[in-house]
Order: sequence, then C-alpha cells, then structure tokens
Amino acid sequence: MSVRSKSGCRLTRRQVLAAGAACGAGVLLHGLTARAQQDVAGTGELEGLRLKGVVRSPAMFWEGLPDQQVRCVLCPRECVVAHDERGYCGVRENQGGKYQTLVYGALCSANVDPIEKKPLFHYLPGTTAFSVATAGCNMECKFCQNWQISQYRPEQVESVEVPPARLVELCRARGSPTLAYTYSEPVVFYEYMHDAAALGRQAGIGSVIISNGFIKEKPLRQLCQHLTGVKIDFKAFSERFYRELCSGELKPVLSTLETLKEIGIWFELVVLIVPTQNDSPQEIEQMSRWVVRHLGPNVPMHFTRFHPTYRVTNLPPTPVSTLETCRKIALDAGVRYVYAGNVPMHPGENTYCHSCQTELIRRIGFQVKFNRVADGKCYNCGTAIPGVWSQEQALSFRPRT
Amino acid sequence: MGWLATRREFLAQFGAVAAGVSLPRQVWGQPGSGEPQARVVIARDEALQRGSPDEHGETLRKLLDAAVQRLCGVDDSAAAWRKWFRPNERVGIKVNTLGLHTLPVVVDAVVSGLRRAGVPAENIVIWDRFDRELEKAGFKLNRSGLGPRCRGTDAERYGNGYHEKVETSGKVGTCFSRILVDEIDALICVPVLKDHNLAGVSLSMKCFYGAIHNPNKYHDNNCDPYIVDVVSHPLIARKWRLTVLDAVRGQYQGGPGNRREYQWNFGGLLVGTDFVAVDAVGADLIENKRREAGLKSLEADGRPPKHIATAAARGLGVADLNKIERIEL
Repeated sequence: MSVRSKSGCRLTRRQVLAAGAACGAGVLLHGLTARAQQDVAGTGELEGLRLKGVVRSPAMFWEGLPDQQVRCVLCPRECVVAHDERGYCGVRENQGGKYQTLVYGALCSANVDPIEKKPLFHYLPGTTAFSVATAGCNMECKFCQNWQISQYRPEQVESVEVPPARLVELCRARGSPTLAYTYSEPVVFYEYMHDAAALGRQAGIGSVIISNGFIKEKPLRQLCQHLTGVKIDFKAFSERFYRELCSGELKPVLSTLETLKEIGIWFELVVLIVPTQNDSPQEIEQMSRWVVRHLGPNVPMHFTRFHPTYRVTNLPPTPVSTLETCRKIALDAGVRYVYAGNVPMHPGENTYCHSCQTELIRRIGFQVKFNRVADGKCYNCGTAIPGVWSQEQALSFRPRT
Repeated sequence: MGWLATRREFLAQFGAVAAGVSLPRQVWGQPGSGEPQARVVIARDEALQRGSPDEHGETLRKLLDAAVQRLCGVDDSAAAWRKWFRPNERVGIKVNTLGLHTLPVVVDAVVSGLRRAGVPAENIVIWDRFDRELEKAGFKLNRSGLGPRCRGTDAERYGNGYHEKVETSGKVGTCFSRILVDEIDALICVPVLKDHNLAGVSLSMKCFYGAIHNPNKYHDNNCDPYIVDVVSHPLIARKWRLTVLDAVRGQYQGGPGNRREYQWNFGGLLVGTDFVAVDAVGADLIENKRREAGLKSLEADGRPPKHIATAAARGLGVADLNKIERIEL
C-alpha cells in the first residue's frame, strides 16, 4: 500500500527519510524495538486443549431482528448479521437468530509481559501481566503489528481452550498480579474477558484491557465493574486517519475516553505516530489540548514508534526526533506525564514528578531500574503522583456511577 | 504482477479473441451499436422443478452442454468446452456452500464437461472455504484419491491455506486461498441463485468472498466496492473463464442462509462468460420473484446490489439488461 500525505500527494520513502532525522540511529533502534514488539507468541505459556476450530458461547449485547437477523450492539459498527454469517470482527456469528461468540476461551496468544510493555507506566510498575488474546478485531489498522491474529478468523490461528477459572489459576501460578487482555482487540472477546476479569477480581487479581476503545457505552460501563486499568490506543485526532487507515471512527473513541474519565478508572493513552499520517504538530497539539480539557492533565500519553508492517510497508519507522517533538508539544499543552515509547534509554521513558521534576521512575526498555514513588507520592516533594501504585489500590477501585 | 503471462500472451495462447469469449473489458458487438454486448444462456428444464435434484444428473449434463454449445456457437459439446479449457490446465470450480448452496449434481455436470474437453479428473479441484461446509452441502471431500479433488481452503491448519502475501486490490487487502494462487490455471464459478441480506444478491462475484481470508471485513456499504475489488484482482480476473449459475433452486429473501420458505424451483442454469451479465440477469430473476411475492425491491429494502453496476463501470462486464442478450433454451 502506498500512502498519501494529508495534502493528497503520494510520498515516497525517500522523501520521508530526507525530511526525517537520525536515520542511522533509527535503524538501530528499529531493530531493538521491532524485536520487542514482535512478541505475539504462540500458546507456549498455556497448557490446555489444543483447538482447531471455535469455542462457542452465547454472546452479550445484541438484538434480534426480523428474518433471523441480529444486530450486534457491542461496538459502534452495529453489524447486522444474517444466519450463518459473522460480524466484521470475524469472531461473532449468528446461528438461527442467536448471536454467539466463537472465541470464548480460545486463546491464541499468551505471555508473561512486563506491565510496562502494554504500555502502562503508572500501574504497578515493575510487575508483570499475564497477557492473553484471541483472534479478531473490530477495526483493520493497516499498520497492525499483530495482524496475523487480529485480522484472521479463529479457525486460522492456533488456539488453546482456557476457561476463565483456569486462566486465573495460570495467572496466579505465574505470580502476576494482573491479567491483561491485549495483542488483538479484546472488545471482540468481550464475554470471555468479562467473566475472567470478574473471577480474577474475586481471586485478588486485577485486569487491564489494551484496546482501541471502539466499544459502545453500555458494555464499557459493565466491563469496568471488573477491570482495574485501561490502556487505549488513541490512533489519531482525525476522522480521516481512523477511516482510511483503521476502517474505524474517531468520535466513538472520544466518547469512550470521556466515559472512562467519568467512571474514574485508571487509564493511559498510546498514540502510535505514523510518519506523514498523524504526526503534524497541529494535530498533536489539538489532540493534547483535547486530552487536557476533557480528560484532565493527569492522563499519561505515550507517543510510540511506527514500524513498517502489514499493509503499510512504504513508510520508514518513526524518527526519534518526531517522538520528541510530540512529547514536547503535549507537555507544553499541559499533559503532565508524556512518554516517548519504545526508545530504550531515552529520558522520555522515565517518570518525573510534575511538580518538582524529580526523576521518580527510571526505565530501560521495559525494565524498571528504580522506582521512587512512595505511597503514591513523590519522595522529594510529597506531591501525589497519579496512578495505581499497589494491588490493594487496584482492587479497591469501584466505578463512579 | 508476476502471477500469469501478460494479457497478450494469454489471448494468443487460448485463441480467446477468435472464439469470441467474453473477457474482462471485452464486449460482444460494437459498443453503442445497439447490439447486445453480452450473452447469458438461460437453460431450463421442467423436469428439474420436480423431485430431488440428485435424480436429474443426466438432464443437467445435457442442459449444460446445450448451453455451452449455444454460448460458443458450436455444435459439438467437447469442442465447446475446449474453447475455454485445455487438457494441460488445472481447473478450479469455485462453489458456494454457505447457506443455500451449490448442488453437487450441478458440479458433476461441469466436471463432465471439463472431462470432455480432455481435462484429467485429477486436474480439477472443487473448492470453497471450509471442508465442513463442503461436506454439509453434500460434496465428498477428496484430497488425494482418484477423481476430482474437493476440499476447503481452511482445511489447512491454522491459516496455512491462505497465501502469506497480503494482496491489495482497491480498498481490499487480503490473503488469497492457496488453491487459487498455486493450484489452478483456470476458474469456473458455480454460484447459486440467492439474495444476500447486505449485498442484495450473492451470485458469482460475491462467491469469491470465499477465496479470501477476511471476508468479514468487507460487508459495509452493501459490500461495495469490495466485491469488485476482490474479483478484479488478477488472481481471479485472469483465471475466470466461465460462470455456471446454479438456478435449479432460487431464493429471494432471507439469504445467504438456507430459508426454504423463500425458495422456488426455477429449474435451470444461467451460463455465461461475462460474469457481470450473469449476475445482472440473476439479480433480475430474484427481483421478479420478490415482486411476485409482494416484497419490496432490494433497493427499497436497503440492500441494492450496487456491486453489479460498479463492476460494469470498471469495465469488467455488462450490467445493463438492455444490452444483454438472454438466450433461453
């Protein structure tokens, strides 16, 4: 796929490279970070029944229509689905006028990851998250790093059946305080995530979702009864980007963010910067100002690097200088915690007190070298640092109604 | 593109221009001359409207041969089939096994024709997405035994049935079935006459949603222009020679699922080399039946088969019913 700039002209890789900076360093970092990102491993972490096929269970959030059709109301697509057909996500199917999920416990990926990899920097830093996914997604980001599970149907990926209770046991056995639903798009395996998160909570395990935020309000509020943290991929601040590069929409994602704010759950934002597509200073400033105005200054923003993959292979990786520019713009707009993601050993990976600027958490890649947040406060000036700093705090969260 | 010879080599090899075979961007007669620009043979037999279709294998074989001869303008059925298929070619028969499905007995008639053209049985593969759907539709799976092969793309474990390369065509980005990419030189599409709740109709072009790994991504806007994006990819466009639309039964509502209360025994086949024209005529038959049944048109029902007009606009065939000659046998 050849990508057009926002002005409509077709940009070549050479032109973008000439406009960018730090090409050599970018290549080195690309190698490091690409390896770090390509970890949608198989099912080695799991012991269970190997599947070839689907695991059916009644779906939540759908309505019956005439002629055995259904309308799914889980995400803003509101797919109308005939008997024997599936929704856009590929993992929910209508059988005789009853909607079913096909991936209830059908895990195709499982890893014990540092929580920083999600990335969640203000949620139990230095701990791990038992991270899982099924096939499917309700968008199609043309730069998706995990497209071989997100854009495939469940029959096409190797999966293991892991019921929710078993998942919680496995998480506990691996010493992770947190379950993370991630890699593909957890909204599409909603029922499984919902049940696992509820059981996990009862067992003293928190749950975080790593999501595109493309979900309707009612299921989101219900899910947040059981979650303890959220990370949203905030793709861009333009409908054009969402439409052309993600087959999605911006407005419902903005609604999701405002709902999360209202609920009071801890959440962080990741913006994957795609050169020439969503990296203009004006757009970053508008996005940052929106975040401050609508979500408040304490929601962390992570600007991360794009790498050529899937259907976008004619653009180079994001220059580090672009991430630095984005970070500066967001900080100047009033966002208190802004990170340059996936740039190992960059100062933009570290956490600084927004009041006295003392370095509180130093990271190298996904490793925490030191953490000086004491009881949720800056050890130097005593300012409360926004985030979730203990498991007790995570599990005590209750949504504001 | 690297998949096949250039268009010129393709035409030279098969003498397609001399035979008057309708290829993408070619029309019968002179454009604007008022003569039909495409031909669709509608072959019917009253016997097919009675009893089980399986009882009518011989009738279907003769009907199909007659249709092919008429389409080609030759008297000998073997010669007619050889206009499009050569003995050294591997021929794929793409069927539709989702919901109301292609009848195996119709495919038997197609296989019989190919055999008369000299195509060895082992060079024929009947295919769709899933093994289980083929079996449910009454096809006998055959991966390596004697006779035509019959299998689903997804029979290969864990997505290996799809080629690893992501192909882009218009707005579609997808991985195509390895059967299409690696195992066949020529295509016959044998869809079924039915409506579709989103695309309006599911006929020959929509049938190729079964050739890609992610059809679920391409159903908004009445599947338009995605259906056309899929079939205009060279992997399909350059291989697709003939369409035999199974109209033994038809369905005008509730599709693509199998809804007997909305089916009728049309008792025939629609045959053509211009797949757009075949779909246009098929859609017209469905609309007529809907009118008879007192139902709204597909457009009024919010699902106009826009992809047919889109395909014509892109020069893939003829959608204007006034420019299609319907030859009724």
